[in-house]
Amino acid sequence: MDLLFLLHQTVCGAIAAAGFGVLFNIGFRSLPWCAASGAVALAVRTYCLGLGWNLEAASFAAALTVGAAVQVLRARTDISQNALDVVGCIPMVPGSFAAKAILGMFALTSTSNVDASETLITAVQYTLRVTFTIGAIGTGLAIPTLLLRVRVSR
Amino acid sequence: MMDAIETLIPEDSGSAPALEPLAMVALDAGRMLMEAGANANSVDEIVAQFARGLGADRVDLRVGYASLAITIGIGANGITRMREVGHLGVNQRLDQELWHLADRVTRGELTVEQTRAELTRLTTKTPRHSALVMAFAVGLACAAFGRLLKVDWAGTGPVFLAAGLGQLVRRELLTRHVNVFICATVVSFLSSLLGGIGAHWAGSETITTAMIASILLLVPGVPSVNAQSDILDGHPTLGSARAVTVAVILIFVAAGLWFGQVLFGKIF
Repeated sequence: MDLLFLLHQTVCGAIAAAGFGVLFNIGFRSLPWCAASGAVALAVRTYCLGLGWNLEAASFAAALTVGAAVQVLRARTDISQNALDVVGCIPMVPGSFAAKAILGMFALTSTSNVDASETLITAVQYTLRVTFTIGAIGTGLAIPTLLLRVRVSR
Repeated sequence: MMDAIETLIPEDSGSAPALEPLAMVALDAGRMLMEAGANANSVDEIVAQFARGLGADRVDLRVGYASLAITIGIGANGITRMREVGHLGVNQRLDQELWHLADRVTRGELTVEQTRAELTRLTTKTPRHSALVMAFAVGLACAAFGRLLKVDWAGTGPVFLAAGLGQLVRRELLTRHVNVFICATVVSFLSSLLGGIGAHWAGSETITTAMIASILLLVPGVPSVNAQSDILDGHPTLGSARAVTVAVILIFVAAGLWFGQVLFGKIF
């Protein structure tokens, strides 16, 4: 595992999560929690990908870790558990895959499409990866909440 | 038989009018929390907390995508009321304030009228980050996203600028009540085109990825996670409605990106 790459991914995850924290109108005092949440998510996902796991499994492990950490730290943060979970996992939402999947579908309808079957397979692959990754993130976040829930939101 | 039915109909004890403001205040709290981006379980919980804190004995809530319906009862009396829910955004500070208010209501510190006044105050006084701060933060977030997607350093600056500008335009359009889906297409088109042109001028070798990274501010992350958690929590109707909305937003975002890529291809 390249430590510099792991650090890069972790820092980028932290910045992305904090940035989305501002977009979600989280107060400045709580932003470090958002950054920490994103950093943990990306660190775990990058580490698991480095072990040879696929994206869906790595995203599931990362979401599970974030969900469990948020449950444990819930009392210390003045921020709803739901928001902290989501902000941390936002950098893992496969937005680019989703865009490529839909663009692939658009390309299928083009009259100038020379290799429709390859375009179709690529678009379907992206669609499935988006579906499974979002499913993995949602399930990973939900399991600690469902197991350890005392109160759903703060 | 008639006697049996009559015993089920409560006598008018004169306390029924008090149920109306109580139900509406509890519904307003739930509506505000839902519009602030909460999932169905949170809405269910906060409405019950408000209603019971204000004196209700029984609370039943139905959480729909565009409306909430509540049945509350005190003693033998009960009423059912419905409330429309507006655009589902994300506002964490409002969410936080509502939970603080719910704690005060649970402790019995507030009457129905005082609670209503507090809800009105929260609607108008809860602070939001300024447009420029949001644009800067979103630009930074998308630039970081870009790095995660392997955009080279030359393309990262343009992604920051294009996403920041896109956020300013999005906020302006939403302030003018432009349809959310149209807004997504317009911002996606603008940000992807600007990101692409900027990355081209900066000598980036990852122009296509830079264009995609510039529009990631539009990915509906909160609704997509809420959709799944709502289904898992036993609200499949609401979860499905959220999932469909997410899918439609993604289609409109992709349409904007497609227009941007086509125009970029014509220019360069």
